[in-house]
Amino acid sequence: MPGQELLVKEIMDRGLCSSCGMCVGLCPYIKTAGDRVRAIYPCGIEEGACYGVCPKTSLDISEMDMFVHGREREDHALGIYSGIYYARATARADGAQYGGITTALIGLALREGLISSAILTGGDIMNPRPVLAATPGEVNSCAGSKYTGVPTLLELNRAAGRGLTGIGLVGRPCQVAAVRKLQRGKLPPERTYSDRLVGLMLGLFCFWSLSSELYGFLARETKGEEIIKMDIPLEGPGVLTKTGSRRWRVDEIRPFINKSCNYCFDSTSEWADLSVGSTEQDPGWNTLLVRSGQGRDLVELAADRGVLEIKDYPAGRLPVLRKAALNKKMRVLALAEKEPGNGGCPAIPDKYLREMNVQWGGINR
Amino acid sequence: MSIAGVCLEKPGTKVALTGNEAIARGALEAGVAYAASYPGSPTAEVLGTLSRLAGNFKLYAEWSVNEKVAMEGAAAASFAGLRSLVVMKADGLNVALDFAGALAISGCRGGMVIVLGDDPNAHSSVREEDSRNLCKAIHLPVLEPSSVQEALEMTREAFSLSEDLKLPVVVRCVTRVCHASGDVELGELNRPLPVPDFTRDNRVITFGIQLHALQEQKLARAAEWACHSGFNSYTGPENPERLVIACGPCYMHALEALDMLAATGVGVLKLGVTWPLPHQLLLKYLRNASEVVFAEEVEPFVEDNVTSLAAMQIPRGIKFYGKRSGHVAGPAGPGIGELDPDILASSLAGIFGVKYETPGVSGRAEALELLGEKMPDRELAFCAGCPHRASFWAVRAALELDGRGGIVLGDIGCYTLGMARTGYNLLQTVHCMGAGIGLAGGMANLSRFGFDRPIVTLVGDSTFYHAAIPALINARYHNSSFLCVVLDNETTAMTGHQPHPGRSVTAMGEPARTVRMEELLQGVGLPYVVQDPYDVEATIDVVCNMLGQEGPRVLILRRTCVLAAVRGKQKARVYVDQEKCIGDSCGCGRFCSRVFACPANVWDAAGGKARIDEAVCNGCGVCASLCPQGAIVVERAVL
Amino acid sequence: MKEPLNIIITGVGGQGNVLASQVLSSAAAQAGYRVAVGETFGVSQRGGSVMSHVRISLTRPYGPLIPKGRAHIVAGFEPLETLRVLLEYANPETVVIMNNRPNYPLGCLSGEQKYPDPRDIEKAAGKLTPRLHLLSATELAKEAGSPLAANMVMTGALAGSRLLPFGREHFTGVIETLFQDPVRELNLRAFELGLYQMNK
Repeated sequence: MPGQELLVKEIMDRGLCSSCGMCVGLCPYIKTAGDRVRAIYPCGIEEGACYGVCPKTSLDISEMDMFVHGREREDHALGIYSGIYYARATARADGAQYGGITTALIGLALREGLISSAILTGGDIMNPRPVLAATPGEVNSCAGSKYTGVPTLLELNRAAGRGLTGIGLVGRPCQVAAVRKLQRGKLPPERTYSDRLVGLMLGLFCFWSLSSELYGFLARETKGEEIIKMDIPLEGPGVLTKTGSRRWRVDEIRPFINKSCNYCFDSTSEWADLSVGSTEQDPGWNTLLVRSGQGRDLVELAADRGVLEIKDYPAGRLPVLRKAALNKKMRVLALAEKEPGNGGCPAIPDKYLREMNVQWGGINR
Repeated sequence: MSIAGVCLEKPGTKVALTGNEAIARGALEAGVAYAASYPGSPTAEVLGTLSRLAGNFKLYAEWSVNEKVAMEGAAAASFAGLRSLVVMKADGLNVALDFAGALAISGCRGGMVIVLGDDPNAHSSVREEDSRNLCKAIHLPVLEPSSVQEALEMTREAFSLSEDLKLPVVVRCVTRVCHASGDVELGELNRPLPVPDFTRDNRVITFGIQLHALQEQKLARAAEWACHSGFNSYTGPENPERLVIACGPCYMHALEALDMLAATGVGVLKLGVTWPLPHQLLLKYLRNASEVVFAEEVEPFVEDNVTSLAAMQIPRGIKFYGKRSGHVAGPAGPGIGELDPDILASSLAGIFGVKYETPGVSGRAEALELLGEKMPDRELAFCAGCPHRASFWAVRAALELDGRGGIVLGDIGCYTLGMARTGYNLLQTVHCMGAGIGLAGGMANLSRFGFDRPIVTLVGDSTFYHAAIPALINARYHNSSFLCVVLDNETTAMTGHQPHPGRSVTAMGEPARTVRMEELLQGVGLPYVVQDPYDVEATIDVVCNMLGQEGPRVLILRRTCVLAAVRGKQKARVYVDQEKCIGDSCGCGRFCSRVFACPANVWDAAGGKARIDEAVCNGCGVCASLCPQGAIVVERAVL
Repeated sequence: MKEPLNIIITGVGGQGNVLASQVLSSAAAQAGYRVAVGETFGVSQRGGSVMSHVRISLTRPYGPLIPKGRAHIVAGFEPLETLRVLLEYANPETVVIMNNRPNYPLGCLSGEQKYPDPRDIEKAAGKLTPRLHLLSATELAKEAGSPLAANMVMTGALAGSRLLPFGREHFTGVIETLFQDPVRELNLRAFELGLYQMNK
């Protein structure tokens, strides 16, 4: 397994880092400022954990499916899941996005002692920051989507250093993948973390994240007004400020899309316990994918306690979602072919490729 | 070697003093009333000594904000009829030169002595300037002591000479005099009651070429005086064929070199007055000489002036050996570096055609074999616990994080070492006091041509007061965009912790009206942030943020010099928990000893773990805050 | 006594060499000798090699620098620096008193250069001069109360070497006037430990 030198060469120097934060704090040599993650000094160590946990280096999709879910996937659009629903929180936290189920589920897990604390993205749209929340109040204050890459996983390294276990995580697909790589433990022995470090992973739908150049754009466009809320529905990105709302065309923010996201194969957090996204249809509800047994248990508990209201996923919507996910994968494959070293795109076994092509053809027919 | 010796009131007593203490004593014997200086090696201890004695004597002593201001203050005292002393290193004369040149024309009233510390070999300087050429250029007489005893006597006599000529007199001391010590015989202390006066009738004006003519007359009188001065002396045969002309400590080296060669019949002419030259005295010994060797540091100053004198006055040819001929040269070449008895012995051996072999050890080859191919160098390093190390690490980290290829411009102080490994090779320019800020402004102004790298300039607190303000004003006026980081260790650390205008006491220990850096910056209209560099992570954040800002802006990284902070206090005990240390494994990679490079963080190769060298550690605890394993423990002394 | 008696005190900036040479030369002056000291300090005090030349004479004053190969005594506060000085200034008659505690240069800490094995340094010093006295000065100083007093242990060892033309009382006299308690007490204890070690 290579180390920092190759991580810098293959990922950081080529702008392929997605700022997940998993390598930040593993050692004194990789640091972060805002959404930037950089190696500040060559550590000189040939085999390093940083390379091993990076979601953009050597990741084999079927191996990861086997590790996380114990079987290979049938659905090449959404990965392995046992159920898909519309859901919303019965008591939506202030500022929560759409149905507010992420905040609600994490709050429930914390109250029930299923997790000891949770790694979340706090702050606001213009100034998001990593948070390790230990109380439901702290969880609620992190409600609401942020659209830039925030290296929240640095909190996981920090928490591990403090000996914490049973940590909950809300993260982007790359962050879920990073933690799975960490758990898979192909690391130098002294870097191996407790099996019980992470207790729950709630992955987000994410088609791309934006660079911090977004802040300058928003500040200019809103003339420095405080932004209360942002979202990016089909009709284009928009914000809500105290005096009103603004909406732009997607193309206006496209230049801010992180380069690494163009090579990302996973838009629905395929290796999380639960995946949460918008419905692209009803802003009062979320899409919820149940992937693991643990995820299933939490959702059932939430339903029992009346924390979540759950309904069936509309049958007609599934092809739309699957098509969006598969389209992205096909775009990535086309792009990755042209990029030396695949641009951080994972390794996809031939069997998966064949099946994926069939499924994509089926959708587009 | 002690302050008590400097103020001893027993003429004829022999005490051991350093060269700088001897200069101070000489000034006291001359009845100096006003002394001013900006600290610089090798002369920093002269004013340090005088200021501590200011209470015992009727004496005013100050650490001035810079050398020009120091010289102006001392000149004012002279104009008012008092004896005054101004002390600086060679580089300081460059700062003061504008005024010095004018003062040399206007002349002075009370005896005024300028002590210049030249540093051949640049032991503690960025270059080895020979200030005699500047003194010649501005028409000031120069005395050069060859020993500690002479440093005392010349300083004392320079006051009388100055008063006589109504012209400031330079005592040019090199490091091997200032930082040497020896037994000296004390003279009478002169403690006049200073009665300054400068009435409406007094005029000291630099104007017109008539004064230039007067200046030449003064120098002619000085040359005449020099011919009879006891500071020039000769030993050897009456009409020597072989003559060595030496000045400064090279005189002592020359005597020893001739001993080492067992050379006889060689005349040695010691010049204590090297400008203006004592022509008649020189001609007397040159008249019959056929071979003349020059021993001086650094430039061929006496050599050039004597050979030009000989060319005009002596019809026959003399063979001159020195730096111009290439015969008198150290390992770096003629006119470079300092001389010593060995260099002179081998130079003289070459000139005289005799052999000199250095006595030496026999087992050299075997010893070197045991030690391996190359003995490790001893690089200069920030002291253990130096706040600059933390500051440099933070700035370096921030620049890497920023990722736009920011540049770092340097300045003069302890932090100049930041150009080397101890400062992570960060500094890209090093020139003179305050230059970094002026350079940063210039670089910033290149933005209109598309130069868009972030610009950082580092400056120390003493340098900030000394030379940074005009450049900051210029930057604000032109909105030149750079980040000025003031490494504020609350003292002039490099030269031995002298106070500066940011401190609350004066050189004499009197309460001062502190000039706060923040107030100055507010006055100039520059935004600033104050941060403790020991909090490295927070400092990285602050530097990152400030790198992203526009316009001239200032970050003050404030933390007292660790040497000053621990003086007289019990240091914290710092040790490495051997269980927790992961040594050279991934996740650390020997960060503390290999990368952070504090000399107290050592590596136990046998155990594969880090250790703290308690003989070196100053207990700052910064390494503990950076250790990724939390393996470094700091036990603060319980008060 | 040799005329002049040439003594070199060497070590690393911060080890207190200058103070040691000051005590030695003041003691010599007090005992009625002429003395010349050449220090190398300034920027070197920042962890660089430092060296003091101390020359004690009866008849005439000497310059502050000792010619190569003509040191009579070398007091080395640090092994590597001692070797450096021996290679340049020692002759087969030179007496060496060496503290065995290494102080690692940055290049060695970083791993780019290798600090020689202490046993090899000892052997090499032995090759250069047979008259080598090894001393655990830093450890003895710790015993006295602080590792920083190693310079006074070394000064004590010099006083106890029987190579100087004046006695210990001149040293203790200087130490007593130069320092105030509790540093005075500490330094006197360290001095005595060094002296005892040489006379043992």
